[in-house]
Amino acid sequence: MATLIQTLPFLVDGLLTTLLVSACVIVLSLIVGLPLGCVLAFGPFWARAPIRLYADFVRGVPILVLLYFVYYGLPAIKVNLPSLLAAIVALTAFKSAQIIEITRGSFQSIPTGQTEAAKAIGLTLFDRFTHVLAPQAARRFLPPFVNSVVDTVKGSSLVSLLGIVDLMLSLQQVIGRTHVALPLYLIGALMYFAINFPLSALSRRLEKRFV
Amino acid sequence: MANYHFNFAIVWRYAGKLFEGLLLSLELAAASIAIGMAIGLVLALISLDGPKWARPLIAAYVEFVRNVPLLLLVYLVFYGIPSAIDLQYDAVTSFVATLSIYSGAYLVEVMRAGLEAVPRGLIEAGKAIGLTPMKVLWHVRLPTAMRIALPSLSNTYVSLFKDTSIASAIAVPELAYGMRWIETQTFRTVEVYLLATPIYLITSYAILLLLRLAERRYSIAR
Amino acid sequence: MAETDARASAAKPVIAIEGLTKSFGANQVLKGVDLSVGKGEVVAIIGPSGSGKTTLLRCINFLEEYDGGSVRIDGTEVGYRDGTGARKRRSDRELAAIRVDAAMVFQQFNLFPHLTAAQNIMLGLMKSRGRSKAEARAIAEKWLARVGLSAKVDAMPSQMSGGQQQRVGIARAVAMEPKVLLLDEITSALDPELVGEVLAVVQELAAEGRTMILVTHEMAFAQEVADRVVFTDQGRIVIDAPPAKVFGEQPHERLRAFLSRFVGFRPNPA
Repeated sequence: MATLIQTLPFLVDGLLTTLLVSACVIVLSLIVGLPLGCVLAFGPFWARAPIRLYADFVRGVPILVLLYFVYYGLPAIKVNLPSLLAAIVALTAFKSAQIIEITRGSFQSIPTGQTEAAKAIGLTLFDRFTHVLAPQAARRFLPPFVNSVVDTVKGSSLVSLLGIVDLMLSLQQVIGRTHVALPLYLIGALMYFAINFPLSALSRRLEKRFV
Repeated sequence: MANYHFNFAIVWRYAGKLFEGLLLSLELAAASIAIGMAIGLVLALISLDGPKWARPLIAAYVEFVRNVPLLLLVYLVFYGIPSAIDLQYDAVTSFVATLSIYSGAYLVEVMRAGLEAVPRGLIEAGKAIGLTPMKVLWHVRLPTAMRIALPSLSNTYVSLFKDTSIASAIAVPELAYGMRWIETQTFRTVEVYLLATPIYLITSYAILLLLRLAERRYSIAR
Repeated sequence: MAETDARASAAKPVIAIEGLTKSFGANQVLKGVDLSVGKGEVVAIIGPSGSGKTTLLRCINFLEEYDGGSVRIDGTEVGYRDGTGARKRRSDRELAAIRVDAAMVFQQFNLFPHLTAAQNIMLGLMKSRGRSKAEARAIAEKWLARVGLSAKVDAMPSQMSGGQQQRVGIARAVAMEPKVLLLDEITSALDPELVGEVLAVVQELAAEGRTMILVTHEMAFAQEVADRVVFTDQGRIVIDAPPAKVFGEQPHERLRAFLSRFVGFRPNPA
């Protein structure tokens, strides 16, 4: 028991890395995904086509393969990223595709009557977007987005396979030293659960409230 | 980038490894989905029609599994459990067990939503022609629920196929593992990815296409 | 207080309801209903919404579990085991066997959406009447022909109009050869132009002497097809008489108020 308590600071360090990676990925993929998602919902075909291609490509490949590709594959063509950066780039590439889809879906599920009604009262394109479409889309966006934050935290565990000492790898290292496997895995699971469960619960509540 | 010299010949020699890997990935996914569907269906029925006390237990299972990384569950089952109790199994068995439990947690929700969406009137119509509850379940509720759930099921199945790549973390020789293996043997990194990525892409979309066809074939437009 | 018609099934009734009560929470929707229906009789139940008429119909095949009183089909208590002492709810297997004797046609058709028209009819024949697939198919085809849908034997419900779906619904019920056919506002969900084709089928079935109980808002139809009209109000049967009497003299104030809402319906005493 004492050894387990001694390992806690180490695990907490790992947890912080997990949270850092997750936060970076979420923020970056919102920056990438939101505008691209809007373009996919409203843009002309020539702008939609490459985005659709990108999103469909990324969603057809496992995250792990994307991670390997950025970490092991890019150096072969002389793009060398430090492992932490490579991990964030790969996870962001994946998450952006999801954000794009969620954004598009949020706008496209708004009945066309809303746009027509907004036009009928003489709103400009800009006003239609900011006062009618965006507020409604935001409500549809939030539940799946919060859910996808949970997926991000879970998916960030894969960076351990690139040697980044996140919660997952710090668990593995502690287990390697202490040979106490099952209890430590369970502690690790509970730590992930402690972060993710409130988010899942929030997502469900948002869904009940908004849908 | 400009100076990279492609050499597919070396990688091609190992292509069989990728093919075997793909087959194993598909087998892992199929086995896990089959077991996961059984888990999902039974637990969905229990949480809808079963005793009240079972509901929090099922919710606990679903919430625990869905909020913990699959990689951690894979390690927990493969390294954690045999370290604590006297039970031995190989990596493939271990992974199938893990992915089944994992998929079950997602499929419970999908199937429950499907079963709940079966109109009450259909169940009454089943009763009115003299079907027992078991027969109503088998001939009316399940077929209707499956059709309602098909779109969600399709997405879940494709995700689970992609999730088989995580088996490479415990050295199960599936597609992602084969990919990494060839890479370390040949150092032809770019070629390996150019070959392996389309395999994942094509397979994912082939699965999705088949399921979409099934959706169209079996859809119950109302 | 109910003006019961003396003629009502003096012989052994097919359906015998006595003192039936049913509550949803604090709301008692059936407050002691007595009704008996003889073989070959067609009884139309009319009344304002919330008067308990649909609940009454649904109690007859125990889709609604009644609280007190009894419902008997050919002498067999429907929902509960006969015998002394406390009432015991029948097992699901027993209920299933009894329910086929009181087949139901629903307002919303409730066709099984994953089965073709023929399969909708065959399911009950095979799974509760124990018919072989070939027999069931022949019966299904015969009944689909009877309701004028020979061309739709292998059509899915989603490929049929509401009127066609409801005719399949009727065929599905009557193919079970029930002792009584229960029709629950079967034209209420239909577009007006499709009502006629469904009522024509019901009229034919009535003409060949099938026992039927129908809840309906089609006053003209009730007058035409029914042997007796039952008017329910606030959980009780207020009037139970031949249509000529019910629609003719309009003796009851509440019935008059109710009938006055049906614009264009003119009771014509025979």
